[in-house]
Amino acid sequence: MKKASKKIILLGHFGVGKSSLIRQFVENTFTSDYKVTIGVHILKKEVEVAPDENVSLIIWDLEGYDDIKKTRASYLLGTHGFIYVFDVTRPATFENLKNDIDYLTNQYAKTPLKIVGNKADLVTKTYLKENANMFGVQPNFFTSAKTGTKVDELFTTLAKELVK
Amino acid sequence: MLETYRGTYFHPRTQFITIDASGNVLESDNVLFSLKKGDEIGSVSPFFDGLSAYFDLEEDNDIKFTCIHLENGKKKEFTCDIEFKTFADPSQPSLVIIHDFTDHYDYYQEVAQSRNESVINSQVLELQNKYLKEKEDFKNTFIANFSHELRNPLTGVTAFCSVLQKTDMSTEQQDYVEVIKSSADHLKNMIGDILEMSKIEVGKLTIEEELFNFHELIELLDFTYTVKAKQKNIVFEMDFDDKIPRYIEGDKTRIKQVFENLLENAFKFTATGKVTFSVKENQRRARKVNLNISIKDTGIGIPAEKIALIFNSFTQLNNAQKYSGTGLGLSIVKGLVELMDGKITVESEEGVGSNFKMNINFKYPINQENTSLDDKSDIENKNFLTKEKYNILLAEDSELAQMAVLKILAQEGHFFLDIITNGEDVIESVIHNEYDLILMDIRMPGTNGDELTKMIRSLPVQNCKTIPILAITANLYDDDKKRYKKMGMNDIIEKPFDETTLLKKIYKYLK
Repeated sequence: MKKASKKIILLGHFGVGKSSLIRQFVENTFTSDYKVTIGVHILKKEVEVAPDENVSLIIWDLEGYDDIKKTRASYLLGTHGFIYVFDVTRPATFENLKNDIDYLTNQYAKTPLKIVGNKADLVTKTYLKENANMFGVQPNFFTSAKTGTKVDELFTTLAKELVK
Repeated sequence: MLETYRGTYFHPRTQFITIDASGNVLESDNVLFSLKKGDEIGSVSPFFDGLSAYFDLEEDNDIKFTCIHLENGKKKEFTCDIEFKTFADPSQPSLVIIHDFTDHYDYYQEVAQSRNESVINSQVLELQNKYLKEKEDFKNTFIANFSHELRNPLTGVTAFCSVLQKTDMSTEQQDYVEVIKSSADHLKNMIGDILEMSKIEVGKLTIEEELFNFHELIELLDFTYTVKAKQKNIVFEMDFDDKIPRYIEGDKTRIKQVFENLLENAFKFTATGKVTFSVKENQRRARKVNLNISIKDTGIGIPAEKIALIFNSFTQLNNAQKYSGTGLGLSIVKGLVELMDGKITVESEEGVGSNFKMNINFKYPINQENTSLDDKSDIENKNFLTKEKYNILLAEDSELAQMAVLKILAQEGHFFLDIITNGEDVIESVIHNEYDLILMDIRMPGTNGDELTKMIRSLPVQNCKTIPILAITANLYDDDKKRYKKMGMNDIIEKPFDETTLLKKIYKYLK
């Protein structure tokens, strides 16, 4: 069996649910208690990307910032993929989405990036459809760490891109 | 001694580990994490997985990572800074130094926790407010639009009832028409209530100040409700203080509405006994008179626990279908009294009756003698007409409204009526015809009525500046009214209108 290790980093404002997404993906649990992440937590999970091919995702859960440029440079070393998370219910977390995404795609042009609107369980699908332009950039996924909607799909899709 | 103390009290919080090129432990002092030779450094945390890929093997490297969460085998969590040193000389193993700063970072975590929570809470609150406001705006816009849509067909009903009543009908048919008409009137009042309430809630209702004969208003109410009381077999008592200035400044329509609303309410809930309407002067200061007004009944009363609810919108305490209404009457009254800077309170006992008390200030002119008001009724203007036939232009796209106006004007025999259904054709028609008056719908395909009026007023054609233009509309917010006036409209005919209202306004503006 082929097995590779890939480092991915979750970025985004504080309180958007980065840690919850990881916990849902790795442990299949969710708690609505908010615990602020400081620094970085690192978790690992193996994902099957093809028959007889697994990839070990080293997931870096970074402390949330309101300015992406403040992210400690050492954390970003050797990153294979980014997940940028925002909270669909809190405009403060997606007001600068376009700038942040432009920054990442300029700085890390070759690194795959997924844009994720989390907490989608708190709004209706119609709301997301009607307000598609509100976010400035079209997100790749609308997830819910609470219900698990699209969480596995998000990580698996990225993992498959990383081993291509 | 120092060395002894150091031996007793110094607890090193830093671990040194050397590893080979594939990440296997060579040596470790095991201060924090227990490792033996040959263990993979990655077994401490996935943090160490793939780290070697970061370094340039050709030279010495020194990289620091801050605030990394690590767990030891006993599930104890450490928050550490980690230094990583590699050397270009392949005989020198790499060094990992782990500094445990858990206490320091725990404190930082608490600070960050409370800061982030308060930021998020304030953002959420702000959003909730915004959401509530949007919801409220939506509700009010919806109500305004919806009642507008209802008014149009209702115009057809009321107007054609009047027309139908003048045709040759049997007594039975006349009775039926009467029923239709009174139902339509009832519906019209309810729509009016709803619209009014939405206007008060969005602050779009303003109180006019005009001089009017207050005594005359009270006499009218006295007369109306004495008759009503006789029909209902109850007593109506008017207790009016004659010293109150005859002429006061205020919004006559709204004041009448407040009094009527409360009186209607008192009558509705009083099956036996008495309704007392009392208007007393409390005090005068400068040019202001303060009045105590009360409307007291011996009706069913309000249970104590529900008194606080009665001024809320859509609250009707008596849910049984016995008493009809939208449940908006009292909230409108309260809204209006407050707009007049007044106060309204209620005292009530279930089974005994209710007493609604108001305290309102009104301005009044010191010199009451020289105050003369033009009370001439508009419909009397009909007698002063100077021409035999008048040309009227009706710009209106609703066929129902067209027919209603046509029928009503045809009966009068004084009018030629041109009907135009499209905004764009109106200007053309005004240029080529000499009209005596224009009836202008506001919402029309092409250009809106108020815009058209502005264009007409600027046409270089004789009489375009002076020709009376009356809006026919159900858009009756104060903002709308102001805009119509600003655009050059002389007056407004509210939809739904009946025969009398339409003719009154037309005759008022014809010379």
